[in-house]
Amino acid sequence: MNRGLLRWGDILIGTLAAGIVVAAFTLAYSPSGDARVLVINQAGATPQHEPLDRARVLEIHGPAGITRIEIEPGRARCADSPGRQNICEASGWLQAHGEVAVSLPNRLTLQVLGTEPGFDSMHY
Amino acid sequence: MTGDPHAGTDTRDRAIAALAAIAIGIQILEAAIPSPVPGIKPGLANIVTLVTLLILGWRAAVAVTLIRVVGSSLLLGTLLSPAFWLSLAGAVASLALLAALRPFAPRHVGPVGLAIAAAMAHITGQFLLAWAIIIPHPNLPLVLPPLLLTALITGSLTGILTAHVLADPRIQRHVRNPTANH
Repeated sequence: MNRGLLRWGDILIGTLAAGIVVAAFTLAYSPSGDARVLVINQAGATPQHEPLDRARVLEIHGPAGITRIEIEPGRARCADSPGRQNICEASGWLQAHGEVAVSLPNRLTLQVLGTEPGFDSMHY
Repeated sequence: MTGDPHAGTDTRDRAIAALAAIAIGIQILEAAIPSPVPGIKPGLANIVTLVTLLILGWRAAVAVTLIRVVGSSLLLGTLLSPAFWLSLAGAVASLALLAALRPFAPRHVGPVGLAIAAAMAHITGQFLLAWAIIIPHPNLPLVLPPLLLTALITGSLTGILTAHVLADPRIQRHVRNPTANH
Protein backbone atom coordinates (compact mmCIF):
# COMPACT_ATOMS: atom_id res chain seq x y z
CA MET A 1 0.00 0.00 0.00
CA ASN A 2 2.95 2.30 -0.53
CA ARG A 3 2.03 3.41 -4.03
CA GLY A 4 -0.35 6.16 -3.08
CA LEU A 5 -3.94 5.97 -2.03
CA LEU A 6 -5.69 5.75 -5.39
CA ARG A 7 -5.29 3.44 -8.38
CA TRP A 8 -6.91 4.20 -11.71
CA GLY A 9 -9.61 1.66 -10.86
CA ASP A 10 -10.52 3.64 -7.75
CA ILE A 11 -10.96 6.79 -9.81
CA LEU A 12 -13.04 4.85 -12.37
CA ILE A 13 -15.28 3.37 -9.68
CA GLY A 14 -15.62 6.72 -7.92
CA THR A 15 -16.57 8.42 -11.18
CA LEU A 16 -19.08 5.69 -12.06
CA ALA A 17 -20.58 5.85 -8.58
CA ALA A 18 -20.90 9.65 -8.78
CA GLY A 19 -22.55 9.24 -12.19
CA ILE A 20 -25.03 6.75 -10.74
CA VAL A 21 -25.85 9.17 -7.91
CA VAL A 22 -26.44 12.06 -10.33
CA ALA A 23 -28.52 9.85 -12.63
CA ALA A 24 -30.58 8.58 -9.69
CA PHE A 25 -31.33 12.13 -8.52
CA THR A 26 -32.24 13.21 -12.05
CA LEU A 27 -34.47 10.21 -12.72
CA ALA A 28 -36.22 10.21 -9.37
CA TYR A 29 -36.88 13.92 -8.97
CA SER A 30 -37.52 15.20 -12.48
CA PRO A 31 -41.28 15.40 -12.88
CA SER A 32 -42.55 13.10 -15.55
CA GLY A 33 -43.89 14.95 -18.59
CA ASP A 34 -47.29 13.32 -18.56
CA ALA A 35 -49.84 14.89 -16.26
CA ARG A 36 -51.08 12.57 -13.55
CA VAL A 37 -52.94 14.79 -11.12
CA LEU A 38 -55.11 17.91 -11.33
CA VAL A 39 -54.78 20.45 -8.52
CA ILE A 40 -57.85 22.66 -8.08
CA ASN A 41 -57.16 25.80 -6.06
CA GLN A 42 -60.05 27.99 -5.10
CA ALA A 43 -59.67 31.13 -3.00
CA GLY A 44 -60.42 30.31 0.61
CA ALA A 45 -60.62 26.55 0.08
CA THR A 46 -58.20 23.70 0.60
CA PRO A 47 -56.50 22.67 -2.66
CA GLN A 48 -58.22 19.65 -4.14
CA HIS A 49 -56.19 16.89 -5.83
CA GLU A 50 -57.89 14.83 -8.52
CA PRO A 51 -55.99 11.97 -10.15
CA LEU A 52 -56.26 11.94 -13.96
CA ASP A 53 -57.07 8.25 -14.09
CA ARG A 54 -60.59 7.98 -15.52
CA ALA A 55 -63.01 10.21 -17.43
CA ARG A 56 -65.43 12.22 -15.30
CA VAL A 57 -66.88 15.71 -14.91
CA LEU A 58 -66.52 17.87 -11.80
CA GLU A 59 -68.58 20.92 -11.00
CA ILE A 60 -66.97 23.55 -8.82
CA HIS A 61 -69.24 26.17 -7.29
CA GLY A 62 -67.71 29.63 -7.11
CA PRO A 63 -68.87 33.19 -6.46
CA ALA A 64 -69.85 33.71 -10.13
CA GLY A 65 -71.42 30.36 -10.84
CA ILE A 66 -70.39 26.84 -11.73
CA THR A 67 -67.12 25.83 -13.40
CA ARG A 68 -67.42 22.50 -15.14
CA ILE A 69 -64.15 20.55 -15.32
CA GLU A 70 -63.73 17.61 -17.64
CA ILE A 71 -61.18 14.99 -16.64
CA GLU A 72 -59.91 12.28 -18.96
CA PRO A 73 -57.02 9.86 -18.42
CA GLY A 74 -53.86 12.00 -18.56
CA ARG A 75 -55.56 15.36 -19.18
CA ALA A 76 -58.14 17.82 -17.89
CA ARG A 77 -59.85 20.98 -19.15
CA CYS A 78 -62.12 23.76 -18.10
CA ALA A 79 -65.23 22.88 -20.16
CA ASP A 80 -67.51 25.66 -19.04
CA SER A 81 -66.95 28.62 -16.76
CA PRO A 82 -68.91 31.79 -15.98
CA GLY A 83 -66.22 34.17 -17.30
CA ARG A 84 -67.51 36.22 -20.25
CA GLN A 85 -64.16 36.18 -22.10
CA ASN A 86 -63.92 32.37 -21.89
CA ILE A 87 -60.30 32.60 -20.76
CA CYS A 88 -60.55 29.43 -18.71
CA GLU A 89 -62.05 27.44 -21.58
CA ALA A 90 -59.49 28.89 -24.02
CA SER A 91 -56.65 27.23 -22.10
CA GLY A 92 -57.75 23.98 -23.72
CA TRP A 93 -56.67 20.58 -22.51
CA LEU A 94 -54.07 20.65 -19.74
CA GLN A 95 -51.87 17.63 -20.28
CA ALA A 96 -48.20 18.54 -19.66
CA HIS A 97 -46.73 18.94 -16.19
CA GLY A 98 -47.34 22.48 -14.90
CA GLU A 99 -50.02 23.66 -17.35
CA VAL A 100 -52.54 26.04 -15.79
CA ALA A 101 -56.05 27.29 -16.49
CA VAL A 102 -57.56 30.17 -14.52
CA SER A 103 -61.09 31.33 -13.92
CA LEU A 104 -60.95 34.74 -12.27
CA PRO A 105 -64.72 35.19 -11.74
CA ASN A 106 -64.78 31.95 -9.78
CA ARG A 107 -61.37 32.66 -8.14
CA LEU A 108 -60.18 29.31 -9.40
CA THR A 109 -56.92 27.92 -10.76
CA LEU A 110 -56.49 24.49 -12.29
CA GLN A 111 -53.03 22.99 -12.69
CA VAL A 112 -51.94 19.55 -13.79
CA LEU A 113 -48.79 18.00 -12.30
CA GLY A 114 -46.64 15.07 -13.38
CA THR A 115 -46.35 13.36 -10.02
CA GLU A 116 -47.84 13.73 -6.62
CA PRO A 117 -45.22 15.36 -4.41
CA GLY A 118 -43.17 12.78 -2.46
CA PHE A 119 -44.31 11.61 0.93
CA ASP A 120 -46.83 13.03 3.35
CA SER A 121 -44.82 11.57 6.22
CA MET A 122 -42.32 8.85 6.99
CA HIS A 123 -42.18 6.59 10.01
CA TYR A 124 -39.58 4.14 11.19
CA MET B 1 -5.90 -18.74 -2.14
CA THR B 2 -4.41 -17.19 0.94
CA GLY B 3 -1.99 -14.33 1.10
CA ASP B 4 0.01 -16.24 3.65
CA PRO B 5 1.03 -19.63 2.25
CA HIS B 6 2.51 -20.68 5.59
CA ALA B 7 -0.68 -20.19 7.51
CA GLY B 8 -2.31 -23.45 8.51
CA THR B 9 -6.03 -23.92 8.75
CA ASP B 10 -5.99 -23.23 12.47
CA THR B 11 -4.16 -19.94 12.11
CA ARG B 12 -6.49 -18.94 9.31
CA ASP B 13 -9.60 -19.92 11.25
CA ARG B 14 -8.40 -18.00 14.27
CA ALA B 15 -7.73 -14.97 12.10
CA ILE B 16 -11.25 -15.19 10.63
CA ALA B 17 -12.76 -15.54 14.10
CA ALA B 18 -10.77 -12.58 15.43
CA LEU B 19 -11.67 -10.39 12.45
CA ALA B 20 -15.34 -11.37 12.74
CA ALA B 21 -15.27 -10.50 16.45
CA ILE B 22 -13.81 -7.07 15.66
CA ALA B 23 -16.45 -6.55 12.97
CA ILE B 24 -19.28 -7.51 15.35
CA GLY B 25 -17.88 -5.11 17.94
CA ILE B 26 -17.73 -2.26 15.43
CA GLN B 27 -21.23 -2.97 14.18
CA ILE B 28 -22.69 -2.97 17.69
CA LEU B 29 -20.85 0.24 18.65
CA GLU B 30 -22.19 1.79 15.48
CA ALA B 31 -25.75 0.66 16.28
CA ALA B 32 -25.45 2.55 19.57
CA ILE B 33 -24.57 5.83 17.85
CA PRO B 34 -27.68 7.91 17.24
CA SER B 35 -28.02 8.80 13.58
CA PRO B 36 -29.73 11.97 12.35
CA VAL B 37 -31.46 9.97 9.65
CA PRO B 38 -32.59 6.42 10.43
CA GLY B 39 -31.05 3.87 8.11
CA ILE B 40 -27.94 5.91 7.44
CA LYS B 41 -24.77 4.86 9.22
CA PRO B 42 -21.10 4.92 8.28
CA GLY B 43 -20.69 1.15 7.86
CA LEU B 44 -17.33 1.04 9.60
CA ALA B 45 -17.59 -2.75 9.94
CA ASN B 46 -17.00 -2.92 6.20
CA ILE B 47 -13.40 -1.90 6.90
CA VAL B 48 -12.93 -5.34 8.44
CA THR B 49 -14.48 -7.03 5.39
CA LEU B 50 -12.13 -5.13 3.07
CA VAL B 51 -9.04 -5.77 5.18
CA THR B 52 -9.95 -9.47 5.26
CA LEU B 53 -10.52 -9.49 1.50
CA LEU B 54 -7.17 -7.89 0.77
CA ILE B 55 -5.17 -10.02 3.25
CA LEU B 56 -6.91 -13.41 3.57
CA GLY B 57 -8.88 -13.53 0.34
CA TRP B 58 -12.48 -13.54 -0.78
CA ARG B 59 -13.69 -16.69 1.00
CA ALA B 60 -12.41 -15.40 4.32
CA ALA B 61 -14.13 -12.07 3.63
CA VAL B 62 -17.42 -13.90 3.00
CA ALA B 63 -16.99 -15.86 6.24
CA VAL B 64 -16.17 -12.77 8.30
CA THR B 65 -19.08 -10.80 6.84
CA LEU B 66 -21.69 -13.52 7.32
CA ILE B 67 -20.48 -14.19 10.87
CA ARG B 68 -20.72 -10.45 11.53
CA VAL B 69 -24.30 -10.21 10.20
CA VAL B 70 -25.52 -13.20 12.19
CA GLY B 71 -23.43 -12.49 15.29
CA SER B 72 -24.33 -8.83 15.61
CA SER B 73 -28.03 -9.57 15.03
CA LEU B 74 -27.90 -12.15 17.83
CA LEU B 75 -26.43 -9.56 20.19
CA LEU B 76 -28.77 -6.77 19.05
CA GLY B 77 -31.82 -9.05 19.15
CA THR B 78 -32.72 -8.47 15.51
CA LEU B 79 -32.14 -12.02 14.24
CA LEU B 80 -34.67 -12.89 11.49
CA SER B 81 -36.31 -9.44 11.82
CA PRO B 82 -36.51 -7.06 8.82
CA ALA B 83 -33.34 -5.33 10.06
CA PHE B 84 -31.50 -8.64 9.87
CA TRP B 85 -32.71 -9.41 6.36
CA LEU B 86 -31.81 -5.91 5.20
CA SER B 87 -28.36 -6.29 6.73
CA LEU B 88 -27.95 -9.68 5.05
CA ALA B 89 -29.17 -8.41 1.68
CA GLY B 90 -26.69 -5.53 1.82
CA ALA B 91 -23.86 -7.86 2.83
CA VAL B 92 -24.62 -10.38 0.06
CA ALA B 93 -24.91 -7.64 -2.58
CA SER B 94 -21.63 -6.01 -1.60
CA LEU B 95 -19.83 -9.37 -1.40
CA ALA B 96 -21.11 -10.20 -4.89
CA LEU B 97 -19.73 -6.95 -6.30
CA LEU B 98 -16.45 -7.43 -4.42
CA ALA B 99 -16.21 -10.90 -5.99
CA ALA B 100 -16.60 -9.33 -9.42
CA LEU B 101 -13.91 -6.73 -8.65
CA ARG B 102 -11.52 -9.19 -6.98
CA PRO B 103 -9.45 -9.91 -10.12
CA PHE B 104 -8.55 -6.19 -10.33
CA ALA B 105 -7.51 -5.83 -6.69
CA PRO B 106 -5.10 -4.74 -5.45
CA ARG B 107 -3.19 -4.04 -8.65
CA HIS B 108 -5.73 -1.82 -10.39
CA VAL B 109 -8.31 -1.15 -7.69
CA GLY B 110 -7.39 -0.13 -4.17
CA PRO B 111 -9.40 -0.05 -0.94
CA VAL B 112 -11.16 3.21 -1.81
CA GLY B 113 -12.64 1.88 -5.06
CA LEU B 114 -13.60 -1.42 -3.42
CA ALA B 115 -15.23 0.38 -0.49
CA ILE B 116 -17.23 2.72 -2.73
CA ALA B 117 -18.40 -0.20 -4.89
CA ALA B 118 -19.27 -2.27 -1.81
CA ALA B 119 -21.19 0.60 -0.19
CA MET B 120 -23.19 1.31 -3.34
CA ALA B 121 -23.97 -2.40 -3.78
CA HIS B 122 -24.88 -2.65 -0.09
CA ILE B 123 -27.50 0.10 -0.22
CA THR B 124 -28.80 -1.12 -3.59
CA GLY B 125 -29.26 -4.66 -2.28
CA GLN B 126 -31.02 -3.35 0.81
CA PHE B 127 -33.19 -1.06 -1.25
CA LEU B 128 -34.26 -3.81 -3.65
CA LEU B 129 -35.23 -6.09 -0.77
CA ALA B 130 -37.11 -3.27 0.97
CA TRP B 131 -38.91 -2.26 -2.20
CA ALA B 132 -39.76 -5.79 -3.31
CA ILE B 133 -40.88 -7.24 0.01
CA ILE B 134 -40.78 -5.06 3.10
CA ILE B 135 -42.20 -1.68 1.97
CA PRO B 136 -43.52 -2.10 -1.61
CA HIS B 137 -44.55 1.55 -1.97
CA PRO B 138 -44.48 3.10 -5.47
CA ASN B 139 -42.79 6.25 -4.15
CA LEU B 140 -39.97 4.40 -2.36
CA PRO B 141 -37.52 5.06 -5.26
CA LEU B 142 -37.59 8.72 -4.20
CA VAL B 143 -35.48 7.86 -1.15
CA LEU B 144 -32.89 5.94 -3.18
CA PRO B 145 -30.88 8.92 -4.57
CA PRO B 146 -30.00 10.42 -1.16
CA LEU B 147 -29.14 6.94 0.11
CA LEU B 148 -26.84 6.37 -2.88
CA LEU B 149 -25.17 9.74 -2.25
CA THR B 150 -24.65 8.77 1.38
CA ALA B 151 -23.20 5.43 0.29
CA LEU B 152 -20.75 7.24 -2.00
CA ILE B 153 -19.58 9.45 0.87
CA THR B 154 -19.42 6.74 3.55
CA GLY B 155 -17.83 4.32 1.07
CA SER B 156 -15.07 6.82 0.33
CA LEU B 157 -14.49 7.36 4.05
CA THR B 158 -14.36 3.65 4.91
CA GLY B 159 -12.08 3.13 1.90
CA ILE B 160 -9.64 5.76 3.12
CA LEU B 161 -9.78 4.29 6.62
CA THR B 162 -9.16 0.81 5.16
CA ALA B 163 -6.11 2.10 3.31
CA HIS B 164 -4.78 3.50 6.58
CA VAL B 165 -5.46 0.24 8.42
CA LEU B 166 -3.67 -1.72 5.69
CA ALA B 167 -0.71 0.69 5.83
CA ASP B 168 -0.30 0.04 9.56
CA PRO B 169 2.92 -1.92 10.19
CA ARG B 170 1.10 -4.35 12.47
CA ILE B 171 -1.21 -5.24 9.57
CA GLN B 172 1.55 -5.05 6.97
CA ARG B 173 3.29 -8.03 8.64
CA HIS B 174 0.42 -10.18 7.40
CA VAL B 175 0.52 -8.76 3.86
CA ARG B 176 3.40 -10.86 2.59
CA ASN B 177 2.88 -10.12 -1.06
CA PRO B 178 0.47 -7.26 -1.56
CA THR B 179 0.19 -7.59 -5.34
CA ALA B 180 -0.16 -11.38 -5.58
CA ASN B 181 -2.82 -12.27 -3.05
CA HIS B 182 -6.45 -12.51 -4.01
